[in-house]
Amino acid sequence: MNFQMPDFSLALPELWVATMACVILVVDLFARGRESAPAFYLTQLTLLVGIWLAIDAQWGRDAVTFSGSYVADNLAVVLKVAMMGLGLLAFAYSRDYLRQRDLLKGEFYVLGLLGILGMMVMASAHSMLTMYLGLELLSLCQYALVAFNRDSRMGSEAAMKYFVLGALSSGLLLYGLSMVYGVTGSLDLGVIREAAAGVGAQNIMLAFGLTFVVVGVAFKFGAVPFHMWIPDVYQGAPTAVTLYIGTAPKVAAVALFMRLIGEGLAGLQEHWELMLVILAVGSLAVGNIFALVQTNMKRLLAYSTISHVGFLLLGFIAGTPEGYTAALFYAVSYSLMAAGAFGMVILLSRRGFEAEEVEDMKGLNDRHSGFAFIMLILMFSMTGVPGTVGFYAKWLVLKAVIDVDMVWLAVVAVIFAVIGAFYYLRVLKMVYFDRVEGGEALQAPAGLRVVLAGNGLAVLILGIFPDSLIAACAAAFGS
Amino acid sequence: METVYLAIPLAPLIGAIVVGLFGKTLGRSVSHWVAIAAVAVSTVLSFIVLREMLWGGGQPYNDTVYTWMVLGDLRFEVGFLIDRLTALMMVTVTSVSLMVHIYTIGYMHDDSGYQRFFSYINLFTFAMLMLVMANNFLQLFFGWEAVGLVSYLLIGFWYQKESAVFANLKAFLVNRVGDFGFLLGIAAVLMYFGSLDYQSVFQSAQASPDMTMSIWGDAEWSVITVACILLFIGAMGKSAQAPLHVWLPDSMEGPTPISALIHAATMVTAGIFMVARMSPLFELSETALSVVLVIGAFTAFFMGLIGLVQNDIKRVIAYSTLSQLGYMFVGLGASAYAAGIFHLMTHAFFKALLFLGSGAIIVALHHEQDMRRMGNLRKYLPITHITMLIGTLALIGTPFFSGYYSKDIIIEAVGHAHRAGATFAYWMVLLGVFVTALYSFRLYFMVFWGEERIDPHAKEHMSHLPRYVMPVMEWPLILLAIPSLVIAWFTAGPVLFGGYFGDAIFVAPANDTLAELAGHWHGPVAFGLHFWASPAFYLALAGFLTAWFLYIKQPGLLPAIQSRGRLLYEVLVRKYGFDWLWINLFGGVGRGLGRLLWRVGDVTLIDGLIVNGSARTVGRVAGVLRHLQSGYLFHYAFAMIIGLLVLLTIFIGQWRGWFA
Amino acid sequence: MIELIIFYVFAAVLLFSATMVITARNPVHAALFLVLTFFNSAALWLMAEAEFLGIALVLVYVGAVMVLFLFVVMMLDINVAPLREGFARYLPLGILVGVVMVAEMALVVGAEQLDVGLTLTGGGAADTGESNTRLIGSVLYTVYVYPFEIASLVLLVAIIAAIMLTLRRRPGTKHQDISQQVRVRKADRLRMVDLPSERRE
Repeated sequence: MNFQMPDFSLALPELWVATMACVILVVDLFARGRESAPAFYLTQLTLLVGIWLAIDAQWGRDAVTFSGSYVADNLAVVLKVAMMGLGLLAFAYSRDYLRQRDLLKGEFYVLGLLGILGMMVMASAHSMLTMYLGLELLSLCQYALVAFNRDSRMGSEAAMKYFVLGALSSGLLLYGLSMVYGVTGSLDLGVIREAAAGVGAQNIMLAFGLTFVVVGVAFKFGAVPFHMWIPDVYQGAPTAVTLYIGTAPKVAAVALFMRLIGEGLAGLQEHWELMLVILAVGSLAVGNIFALVQTNMKRLLAYSTISHVGFLLLGFIAGTPEGYTAALFYAVSYSLMAAGAFGMVILLSRRGFEAEEVEDMKGLNDRHSGFAFIMLILMFSMTGVPGTVGFYAKWLVLKAVIDVDMVWLAVVAVIFAVIGAFYYLRVLKMVYFDRVEGGEALQAPAGLRVVLAGNGLAVLILGIFPDSLIAACAAAFGS
Repeated sequence: METVYLAIPLAPLIGAIVVGLFGKTLGRSVSHWVAIAAVAVSTVLSFIVLREMLWGGGQPYNDTVYTWMVLGDLRFEVGFLIDRLTALMMVTVTSVSLMVHIYTIGYMHDDSGYQRFFSYINLFTFAMLMLVMANNFLQLFFGWEAVGLVSYLLIGFWYQKESAVFANLKAFLVNRVGDFGFLLGIAAVLMYFGSLDYQSVFQSAQASPDMTMSIWGDAEWSVITVACILLFIGAMGKSAQAPLHVWLPDSMEGPTPISALIHAATMVTAGIFMVARMSPLFELSETALSVVLVIGAFTAFFMGLIGLVQNDIKRVIAYSTLSQLGYMFVGLGASAYAAGIFHLMTHAFFKALLFLGSGAIIVALHHEQDMRRMGNLRKYLPITHITMLIGTLALIGTPFFSGYYSKDIIIEAVGHAHRAGATFAYWMVLLGVFVTALYSFRLYFMVFWGEERIDPHAKEHMSHLPRYVMPVMEWPLILLAIPSLVIAWFTAGPVLFGGYFGDAIFVAPANDTLAELAGHWHGPVAFGLHFWASPAFYLALAGFLTAWFLYIKQPGLLPAIQSRGRLLYEVLVRKYGFDWLWINLFGGVGRGLGRLLWRVGDVTLIDGLIVNGSARTVGRVAGVLRHLQSGYLFHYAFAMIIGLLVLLTIFIGQWRGWFA
Repeated sequence: MIELIIFYVFAAVLLFSATMVITARNPVHAALFLVLTFFNSAALWLMAEAEFLGIALVLVYVGAVMVLFLFVVMMLDINVAPLREGFARYLPLGILVGVVMVAEMALVVGAEQLDVGLTLTGGGAADTGESNTRLIGSVLYTVYVYPFEIASLVLLVAIIAAIMLTLRRRPGTKHQDISQQVRVRKADRLRMVDLPSERRE
């Protein structure tokens, strides 16, 4: 028995978040009356400290511990900081929304926090087992959160669908992982990497397992044809939960791909490249075309997510450090925009009225020109107009694809992006040019306004000065 | 020092943001204090930088402060190049800007866009400083466009006035023409020298001065000549040289402080600065310098002539500015860069003074700008009168005034230059002196002497101005009058002959006209006393006497002269037809072409067929496809299985070589 | 030889009962067939000398999970008829997909490329002579402590989610409050009333 004592200090961020989740669970039990304010503030504090811990304990390191289950490197740090940052944002948005609908319970924060913990586990996973467990931890929290509003039929239905499909995809992923284990004889991703590089593409069983792994990853991303859950879940879940599901888990999906396929099965690139091309083109086509006919804002954003996933996958297809950098940058910046867009839906809603229809955006400029401008920034960013962060995201991805001589793919992506521009601009047309009778001035809590304004500005500022974020993403891939 | 360099442009930027966003909340007086404080900080720091350069043994600073983007080998950066040229420009820009800020309190005292105005001029100061301090072409271009933008905003500051909107549109469009050349120039530099950084571009240019390119057929063009001429086209737009000068007189629609700051002292000199900054490039191309020389000389003389027939006080000064900018370019074209920059500096002070003085008159007379309705104003506005007189004397180059030194040196430098077009240029600038004196004193006599033709209503207004208005405008006048008078005494020697610029400006030894003149320089006093030997002095005197004779002694003679010289008069009033050329010919043809393309291309082809057509198709397809998203769980699961099957098939196909 | 025969018997029963789980009309029958499936797979594990897993399967799945499952199935009166409606309609397509999938997998597995020259690590109890249970125990809290703890968090989430989704406090419902009952005093329940005796008219 050669057992080495693990270096617990390396896993400090995870330990901290796990401990705090339990603390919050208990604290909330005794402080229920006050709209779970202690739980809220403790959660935000946990995430803030967690970000600091992640940077402090892991930045610049490259160490494996827990007998090969856990890795601490720059990629893990960037992913974790993004996850926790986006979680912070999601919780900040959700508070007023939940309060207005009497949903403000401590469980929301505990489940959300544990979900983030699941993502962090994925970010640092160095064994297939840890990866799978992190994924399940995240998924389970998401299923529960989607059903958070128990009185909503749509919420329950969405949760059910999500749960069944999620279980199916988990099963497929597990099957693939077992194949990989069977061939390589190890759960350790480092060992798998070497084995895959050694036997490489000739090994048919390894590639067979890979196919199932790709399916599992594609489901997490919501790539076509594994996307069916996204519109229903986005629409059915309470908007605050949609915001949570639509942002940080995208980064977690990047972690899933990078750790399992990008790093673990790098030797099989010739196999997964073509699979991803199919997924990416399908996502671009389905996402953009379906989004055109949506009348529900949340569904529209859901299809827009699918199309963005198609773009993101292009970075993986390139398979170079630049491509991975681009994909990571895309995931982070897209999540930021999505948070803003769902935040806008939250802002326009109030008790007893969900501003979920695209029509509800009408006349926003007359009601509040400042938020109309933020909507403008967000939609421009999603379209990819220069000056917003979305432009750089698309540009980096396309550049990465062109660098590996797949120009046709870039052309396809651009064509669909142009189609996509139509529905984003349609929203803006409603915001700016449509008049609505009796549109009253916007009433929203001050906190929500501040968060949304900050989010919009962040999209703009990152659009002008993207280099620090790009540099961080590049550092994650050692360049 | 780096913090100081950063603080200089950032202070006005912060001021602009604060005043622009919160001006309404802060109120008028807080706003103007914030704006003025911001510029004052920059001014003080600029002086510190200059002092460091002169006496502190400061070495030129050239470094990147922020990397915006890296594209392969190409770096887009924000960086500062601080040398003596930059320091001089910084001091000029910030101090004139400061004076204008203070003056604005009075000039704009009854305007509803008070805070907006302060925000704009703060923003302008920022942009101009970025332009001046740039160490690479990208930042230069940023500053270039930013000052253009603010200029556009400020010309149209009174956007309810139709003429103002027309003027700012004109300024914008004409500048586009120049910027087109400028951008092409930068692109040429980037293409052939592979960098945007000044130093590396200069080095590669010096290393291979004979590079050629062929754009048209087999003709070989010198890369440096082409690049320099393209860059100079940009300078022509910004610094309003013929034939791209047409926007500057119209820009007088903007408030007068703007005319002083942007359209006389700083922005329009950006072209001069740029050419001086690019001296290592221009020095390599004889042809480009000749172009600069000829265009400058043409502008200097012929634009001055138009000034003779203008009646709007600001337009007279505007044409004078055109002509003086021409002088500066002549200096540059004669390889006497130092002289051009020196004239830029002295001109900044006395031209700002003249503009601000005319602004004071305009405010006092309740926005009356027509000189035919002024006269004898020395009685009512004594301080303005004295300071304007000092400005006028400086402008025409009266011995011992700052303008005398800068302008005389340019004229003599041209006289010593040997390049093609130098003789033409010499005669143009020499005759220009006469014209300058004539229109300057025409203005002076019409406004301050002669019979009183003031509108009684305006006179009424003059006695009801708020008490602070005139003093707050007069103080900057006084503060500008002092340098207009004395600045050359201290600076002429070192700047022109003392090697002040060091490495900042590069002059090929064969072209160094100033060095030839250096032998005749025995200090400012000696130079001043030597006026009788210079033909320019007699021409200026003649101009003064002519003006005196026509406007004071024998005013009756004027109509007769006008009717005799009918043709010449008409040509001048119509400004040689440049406006007609631009608006009707180029503008008209462009509009016609645009309309045609719009009808055929846009409406029919793009909108009808491509955009709407494809949108309709896509919409129809989506309408059909949406039924796939049925909402049934087993459909979804089935889709996933099918997806898995597809991926499996692909993989097996690859393995078995089905696709190969 | 005898082992092989036993293996095939268990495997055959396993496949049969698994098929029955999805085809049985009565949900109770389906659940019972699932129990049988578990038993058979437990037996297979025992044959592979993985006795801990076999026993755990019986104890946890058969003993706890399936009993709960049966409970739920019996409590909820599930109407099976509508669930079967689409069955016949989608059966041909389903079979087609299934056949294609089986064919493709056969192509791969038939390739016999499982052996790539890598020696499998881990291995069964036979190698060390130690019991399977003991081996698992020795690595579970050492080598696999990190996954183990995450698994515990997964369970925690399951508990929280289950409680959150089911626990309701409706204001209208009547339920006992034991502590209130215990704390009750005589004065709360008993009121002494003086009633004047009825007078006879």
